[in-house]
Amino acid sequence: MGKIIEFMYRRKALFRWIFFGMLGAVVLYDFTVPRPHHPHFAGDSFYGFWSIWGLVICLAMIIFWKWLAHGFLERDEDYYDN
Amino acid sequence: MITSGIFLHPATWFIVGALLLPFAAKFKLQKALLIAVPVLAFIQIYALPADFGHVQYLGFDLIFGHKDKLSFVFLHVFTLMAVIGCIYGLKVEETEQHIAAFLYVAGSLGVTLAGDYLTIFIFWELMAFASTFLIWFRKRKRSIEAGYRYLMVHVAGGLILLAGIFLRYQNVHDLSFDRILVEGATMADYFILVGFALNAAVPPIHAWLPDAYPEATVAGAVFMCAFTTKTAVYVLARAFPGFEILMWAGAAMTLYGAGYATIENDGRRILAYHIISQVGYMVCAVGIGTEMAINGACAHAYAHILYKALLFMGVGAVLHQTGKSRLSELGGLYKYMPITLVLTVIGGISISGFPLTSGFVSKSMIVEAAGEHHQLGVMLMLLAAAVGTFLSVGLKLPYFIWYGGRQSDFEAQDPSWNMQLGMGIAAFMCIFIGCNPDYLYNMLPYAVEYQPYFGYHVSESLQMFAFTGLGFYFMIKKLTPKRFPASEHLTAHLEATDHGSHHAGPLMNLDFDWFYRKGALLFMWMAKNPLDALNELVSNVYQSIGCRMTMAIAKGSSWFDWHGIDGAIDGSARGVVSLGDKTRMHVTGNLQHYIGASVAALFVILAIVIFT
Repeated sequence: MGKIIEFMYRRKALFRWIFFGMLGAVVLYDFTVPRPHHPHFAGDSFYGFWSIWGLVICLAMIIFWKWLAHGFLERDEDYYDN
Repeated sequence: MITSGIFLHPATWFIVGALLLPFAAKFKLQKALLIAVPVLAFIQIYALPADFGHVQYLGFDLIFGHKDKLSFVFLHVFTLMAVIGCIYGLKVEETEQHIAAFLYVAGSLGVTLAGDYLTIFIFWELMAFASTFLIWFRKRKRSIEAGYRYLMVHVAGGLILLAGIFLRYQNVHDLSFDRILVEGATMADYFILVGFALNAAVPPIHAWLPDAYPEATVAGAVFMCAFTTKTAVYVLARAFPGFEILMWAGAAMTLYGAGYATIENDGRRILAYHIISQVGYMVCAVGIGTEMAINGACAHAYAHILYKALLFMGVGAVLHQTGKSRLSELGGLYKYMPITLVLTVIGGISISGFPLTSGFVSKSMIVEAAGEHHQLGVMLMLLAAAVGTFLSVGLKLPYFIWYGGRQSDFEAQDPSWNMQLGMGIAAFMCIFIGCNPDYLYNMLPYAVEYQPYFGYHVSESLQMFAFTGLGFYFMIKKLTPKRFPASEHLTAHLEATDHGSHHAGPLMNLDFDWFYRKGALLFMWMAKNPLDALNELVSNVYQSIGCRMTMAIAKGSSWFDWHGIDGAIDGSARGVVSLGDKTRMHVTGNLQHYIGASVAALFVILAIVIFT
């Protein structure tokens, strides 16, 4: 297992392209599946919607919570000991 | 009838097992007992009748055994989890840790089978006390303090629950544990709801969980992550389905836990926050309250116990082998602990809900139930939390422990065979349920028409996760936990950086426990004098009443061959005493006496109730 990761690590660039290829593939796959009969909301009928959802929520979550942490929540680990 | 009923109850196996453990340890049978008890209990639950163990006590009808499909699915996963946890902790030498774990499991099974509120309360408190010891047995100063906070919060929660039970008895003179209708809910029911919600870690009464779980022992945390919150989900699902407040609270929990996990640095704390997030799905489903939602809550509880335990076992194994659990101190472990990596990643993709894993077939039921209930907002909150889950547990956690991060040399290797076996069984179950959802669906309380595997759903999940991966790829720098100079350079670092403008050590994030950890100090300062007086009064009362009670118990138990036991439990007794010494340094007053007396009283009551 360690060797496999080592092997992948040495071919970083290749695996980066495989990853990007996968991103394209999952979006393409979305065009092939039938839309749900009873869409819960507009997003359900929009091709590739969940790709945008995944990316936007992921970025928003990191930015919002990092802002919250840096601005308000972060303390030294021995904060309560003093 | 009653005596035969006792041994029907699976909790009895664990209580008897806990009593036998010191002897078993003496005769080198500890490991055999650790496997035999949970396996027997696991088999036992199939043979349970629907109703057993009715006891009349002081005019109350105590029901120790009430089994239906809702309780069975929880019993099934609790006993299975006990088997896995015991295998994982097999090589833990300290008998007392196993005793605590057994009693804790017994409490959980007792609640799950209870048919009335008094029985629930007895086992509820047993869980709280027993699990506290799983924190204390780590024996670090921080663990002991965290254990006290954990116990205090749970005692407070237990009192709220008890208040609700009393009020309820006053109102309706009926303590049978059954569904409460939203329309008829009174103040009493809301007290009970708050008592249950505290154990389900619903914010703002959740902070005990991320405070205490990361401080527990390695094996202890594996047990704790499975039982307390999921027992709470069970009682909520039975008593409070359809309470809309739970739906919103649950949806908020999913995002709250996932958010904190994004900014946390300690591996086990990340997982602890994700318990809040995942239990949020279940609480939300209970709040939706439709048949499909309740099915979803049960299925998700089942799946969650297995993958969360797997994650705690994986990160616990890293802590056990390297002594570290902060992401900022780990990295590059793939060379040394590859098996743990693979198994933990299986847990990580299961919790995220990848196709072919257990999370996919359980979580989607709840999301679908929210959609069918026309709660679009709730549905989208749950789907956003799924992104956050994959980000922090599927990507961040394994990445910074096993791959990126600090690339120093560790003297680590994969843990012992039993720890690997425990993880292996859990990982197998995650995949097995993902590939055979009917195994899980057939156990659920209502008939299932839902089918998780259809093109659109698979496509939705794959897109969400692939593009969360892209987001992680963009933000990897921002997520990298800050490194800190080793302690020998710390002084130099402090001098070099303008004091205060940079943090000098690892960081933590404030949460609601601030109110009782810092806010309480202020309160204590103001209330010091009256409290001191009260404390003195209480100790006086304790000394006159408590001592007499202790003497009475001692007399009553004199038929027991103390000399025989003495030899057997000598070792564990010494361990307890030394732990007691350690704790004594950190507390003032008679706290440990109160706890000891409460536990003793609890057992006496339990014994009287069961054996009369």
